[in-house]
Amino acid sequence: MDERENELKEAPLEGALLVGVEDRDDDDLDEDGKADYAREVLEGILSRMDLDATVDVREDDERVVLDVAGPDAGRAIGKKGQTLDALQFLVNKIVNRFPDGRRYIVVDSGDYRDRHDKNLVNMARREAKRAVDQGRTITLEPMPARDRRLIHLSLAKFPDVTTKSNGEGLGRRIQIIPSSGSRGGGGGDRDRRRPRRRD
Amino acid sequence: MDQLAELIDYIARALVDDPEDVTVEAVEGDRAIILELTVAPSDLGKVIGKDGRTARAMRTLLSATSARMRRRAILDILE
Repeated sequence: MDERENELKEAPLEGALLVGVEDRDDDDLDEDGKADYAREVLEGILSRMDLDATVDVREDDERVVLDVAGPDAGRAIGKKGQTLDALQFLVNKIVNRFPDGRRYIVVDSGDYRDRHDKNLVNMARREAKRAVDQGRTITLEPMPARDRRLIHLSLAKFPDVTTKSNGEGLGRRIQIIPSSGSRGGGGGDRDRRRPRRRD
Repeated sequence: MDQLAELIDYIARALVDDPEDVTVEAVEGDRAIILELTVAPSDLGKVIGKDGRTARAMRTLLSATSARMRRRAILDILE
């Protein structure tokens, strides 16, 4: 965590918050003005949180990515990205208040979301391997729907495990279950030291 | 206006249909500040959200901000 904050502190500052730098070279993409509105809202919230940060807009056809940078970017991310997720949720609610022409707004900071996803997939593979090696079900930490979906997808083709979610709401967790089919097939049977599935 | 109240006021006004009906009252306690948010009855759902998710997101930002000020803040949505 500290490492990340330091990295972010070294990120170049691109002018003070709320200074409207008119560097749009893609106005045609933002014909509905939602990207600019989203940026304005996010800047408004960040400054009222007393955070020294700038917001840049990256957009493609479907989504608008708001990139938070500056000395307080680490604080805008928060523990486990909770602050960043809350910012993203609220900016989406505000910008898509009316049903016409919804646009999905991603609030990111540098490559935070990318790295978060990669870490998640690596962790899932590690735990899946452990589930197979130890022949027992592994239950992960509770996590948001989006992260659970990513894990289900990334393990869909992982050999000898299945995944499912258990629990309600914020407490919903993924279980990684070694498939019973893995008992016979492989050549590794003679190496099995431990009874399967239960102790 | 108190800075924390201003944060909630800004977000709430952006969320609702009737921003002029939004008020945030800051009640200073010994150990915590209580922010009493009122909105037009028709806008209640907009500040609470499905399963309380909007209210929860506001509280997350509120505690992130208040923690740095070494304060504790409670968001109370009045019905």
